Amino acid sequence: MLVKNILLIILSFYIGIIHAKELNYIELPSGEETEIRVFPAKGGILLIGFACDNGKSKHEEATSQSLAEDGIEVWMPDMLSTYMLPKTRSSYAEIPDEDLTHIIYEAISTNKDVYIVASGPDTQLLLRAAAQWKKEYPDYKNLKGAVLLFPRLNNGEPVPGVEPKYVESVGTTTIPLMVLEGGRTPNRWGLNHLSGKLAASGSQVISKIVPDIRGYFFKRADPNRAEDVVTSQLSGLIKVSLFYLQENSK
Amino acid sequence: MINAKKILLLLLLGLSLSIGAAHLKPYSGSIKDPVISLKDLNGTTHTLAQYRGKVVLVQFWATYCPPCVKEMPSMNKLQDKLAEAGVPFKILAIDMAETKAEVDAFVKKIKPEFTILMDETGSSIGQWNVFAAPSNFIINKQGKIAYTLFGGVEWDSEEIIEKITELSKH
Repeated sequence: MLVKNILLIILSFYIGIIHAKELNYIELPSGEETEIRVFPAKGGILLIGFACDNGKSKHEEATSQSLAEDGIEVWMPDMLSTYMLPKTRSSYAEIPDEDLTHIIYEAISTNKDVYIVASGPDTQLLLRAAAQWKKEYPDYKNLKGAVLLFPRLNNGEPVPGVEPKYVESVGTTTIPLMVLEGGRTPNRWGLNHLSGKLAASGSQVISKIVPDIRGYFFKRADPNRAEDVVTSQLSGLIKVSLFYLQENSK
Repeated sequence: MINAKKILLLLLLGLSLSIGAAHLKPYSGSIKDPVISLKDLNGTTHTLAQYRGKVVLVQFWATYCPPCVKEMPSMNKLQDKLAEAGVPFKILAIDMAETKAEVDAFVKKIKPEFTILMDETGSSIGQWNVFAAPSNFIINKQGKIAYTLFGGVEWDSEEIIEKITELSKH
């Protein structure tokens, strides 16, 4: 009897997940159509995750599901797949700004407060989108902020003893930004410098170091215990980030 | 035949990439008088000034940085080869703000034979404008930064030994 009940609970959990994710298609100004994985929720916040991983992001999907269960709707457009682009840094330049802002426009049309999130080098898309949004839609106030998970925004190889140079989109947006970096990655030493550059255009920038984790921790095949824990609690980390951003946009 | 050609091309490409992956580059930054005052694993303080008259390799590294770990055996060899050749040379490898327990465990396993310095607060990392690992600085006999190199490299390569030997003559 007990085993039956457990099986039923597990089954209903998985059915819940399968039903939770929807696919939405948006036609973009470039003429391309993008597929968006949507994790619907009834709350007043919508989070757009600019994932560029050809749909391989298992942990991101679990995180999105968890956020949706807590009332935060999540949209995950896969920007590289939309244009059949490979996962290389040069591909980002091929993605038109107008397409990115169109996705934000669709999200704003739900009348929810919109936040955007991206990780690693994908964060440059997020910054471009936020800057272009302000240019195209200066009167819309519902794009409330962005979360940058272990951003990799260097332009070229680091030079020891020389301040890093960043991609053009750094320091172009004014929306509040939350930057998270792993404690066990050399990039943590550049966090203050990067935060300063991000704030140069007027953004409120909050940066936090997550202790004991390496960069790309939730994509690693060899996670340590801390990375396992943080990966399983990634939705909590994002919720805390959104809380900070909400406090800053008041 | 086509496959054999392709494999040969790939091998040549791989070889050229591995040889040309990282080189010592003349320093282009603004640090005029670099300073170090840090303790080694035995608690002895080392300063950069005390090694004036020697060429010094200052490396910023961490136990979690795979290229740092991979290149350490070649740093041991570099130290040995330059000592045999009578080149005045010293390695100061600064751990980037990890705990002594972490570094002690690492040293037991990897066995670096050069001086490891502890910077548990990360103070020197900021002073030296270090934002990535491994970040390497070659200091000339007058205590100025002559070359830098980012990333892992085979330190006992002919090119590096020649450059350090040449630097030691001035």
